[in-house]
Amino acid sequence: MAAETHVLAPVTATRKLDWSRLWPRIAAAVPLALLAVLLPAHSDTFGHVGAYAAIFVMVGLSMNVLTGYTGQISLGHQAFVGLGALTAANVVSTGITPADPFTFGIGIVCAAAASGAAALLLGAVALRIRGLYLALVTLVFGSVFADAIFTLPSLNGQDAGVSAYRPTVFATEYRYYLFALAMVLLCVYVDVWVRRTKLGRGLVALRENELVASAYGVNVLGYKLLGFTVSGAMAGLAGGVFAFWEQEFSDKDFTSVAGFNLAITFVVMVVVGGLANRGGVIGAAIFFALVSPISPVLQALANHTGWGTFYGNNKFYISNVIGATLLLQTVVMNPGGLGQVIRPFARWFRGHKFTLHDPDGDAGAGALEGSSVRA
Amino acid sequence: MSVLEVRDLTIRFGGLTAVDGLNLSVDEWEIVGLMGPNGAGKTTAFNCITGFYKPTEGHVFYRDRDVTKLPPHRKAALGLGRTFQNVGMVKSETALENLLTAQHTHTGYNAVKGLTGAGTVRQREKDLVAHAEAILDLLGLADIRDRRIGALPYGTLKLLELGCALATDPDVLLLDEPSSGMGPDESHELGDRLLNLRQELGVTMLLIEHHVPLVTAVCDYVYVLNFGKLLAEGDPEAIRNHPEVIAAYLGGEAPDALAETELPHDQEELAEVTHS
Repeated sequence: MAAETHVLAPVTATRKLDWSRLWPRIAAAVPLALLAVLLPAHSDTFGHVGAYAAIFVMVGLSMNVLTGYTGQISLGHQAFVGLGALTAANVVSTGITPADPFTFGIGIVCAAAASGAAALLLGAVALRIRGLYLALVTLVFGSVFADAIFTLPSLNGQDAGVSAYRPTVFATEYRYYLFALAMVLLCVYVDVWVRRTKLGRGLVALRENELVASAYGVNVLGYKLLGFTVSGAMAGLAGGVFAFWEQEFSDKDFTSVAGFNLAITFVVMVVVGGLANRGGVIGAAIFFALVSPISPVLQALANHTGWGTFYGNNKFYISNVIGATLLLQTVVMNPGGLGQVIRPFARWFRGHKFTLHDPDGDAGAGALEGSSVRA
Repeated sequence: MSVLEVRDLTIRFGGLTAVDGLNLSVDEWEIVGLMGPNGAGKTTAFNCITGFYKPTEGHVFYRDRDVTKLPPHRKAALGLGRTFQNVGMVKSETALENLLTAQHTHTGYNAVKGLTGAGTVRQREKDLVAHAEAILDLLGLADIRDRRIGALPYGTLKLLELGCALATDPDVLLLDEPSSGMGPDESHELGDRLLNLRQELGVTMLLIEHHVPLVTAVCDYVYVLNFGKLLAEGDPEAIRNHPEVIAAYLGGEAPDALAETELPHDQEELAEVTHS
């Protein structure tokens, strides 16, 4: 009956290709793409670090779906990444021989599925609570889940560390980097379509006002769960890629202090990047991924200035210090994060005129206001 | 056949009975007004009808189907559109994005399929944009298409919210004070607009409204609530001259009605509840 009132007939819209709007995209995308593909080819180290950055970007996008769009905070995301890594490694579980590509693929898919399911579980708990309490529940979920499951000897290689050998196709660091990059592109693709379709609009609506969202017909509980699941699946995918990154890892990467450190880094990353801002989050994720690889450079610098011993003793905390500083700077002075800083470029990239003045008002600050990060 | 029927609707919050045994019905093509002084329970009644509150007693029927227990999003999908007293829209988004969000139940694809970015999804998205633009044109809001709504003036927001409610493709539209924040001219214009909408889209409406000229101009029938109870009902002209209604709004005493009304008693009760 409601359909009868549909008098405003749907018009089929068409849009022509417009080169004047298109060229900025090409001008910006081509160098970036070349940089992303060619720079890690420079050496094994670059490829290795590049793949690590790719993993962080995937986690960043995962946090972006959850915190940026859905407005839910997670201080337990390391559990989803870890679960993905352990799942992938155990599914492939070849001991010392390289995995065959098919099993490898299955392992990666299982990683995403397992973490998606775990996130659904957390989401089901999180439906009734918000703000600070949600933060606490996710924190406890993350550490308890990780400490309880990851320490099972049958899962973590009898406490000796898990090995996950890559298939021969991805044997070199550069090739594995290209695989990780492809997975990043997959996540970006999903993120783009989350934002462009009803899922993203529903999530943003419920982030800002659950009553309004349900008046629009959004199933608030269902969409929250979906937000958690998509986010968890992305984190699991990142974990799967991580498992084969060094081909050997320990469950201790995701439990207790190391795990908590990761969880904090993930949250800081998405806030500093700019909530609900894809470009900003990607940028911040790359930055935080590079903090530990450039540690030797900082060490050399410290040695040179006479702070070598001090730095050596405390380098474990360096990413926390940087993260805390940037977080403060963001929340106090720049609530839209990196995304706000790069917004003029992003607008230009989309084919608008380059201007520092934001004609549409600021969305980044609004995104932060709506999310439970403020709560 | 009545499109919307409310039978013996009662909701209590602790000791306070916010809506007490409300009966009302809205027929096809009617515009029905719901009036009453502040705190009379109008918005609470709206929230019960649209599923945001669970009524303590009573039933809500939509086209003879008992929808009392359905959650709000299911009711929205059925065709019960609503607006909010203090403008309910997504503030960080643009006018167009809000209209797209409002078409949530009419996208024609499910949320997971949307993530694949398939050809049909793209096509449907274009259709949704075209439909949103048609609504903007209909309301004369085409120039705010890409403006973030956080910064727009209140009157424009109320109008756009009406557009969003229309975008949910409602069968019955529940409007909570659509003319608040508007001047006399604007609310006169709004009245014409509502009548036109009924003419063009065949939408049945139930509106909470204080602005008497607007109620007189658009409503076919009016219910008046006071302290959660139905005080009077009738056509707008009769309501305007109803002594109890005048008394309720102006706080005075209508001599010939005073004997029957339990007003002072209710007031005491209310005061007790609010002070405890």
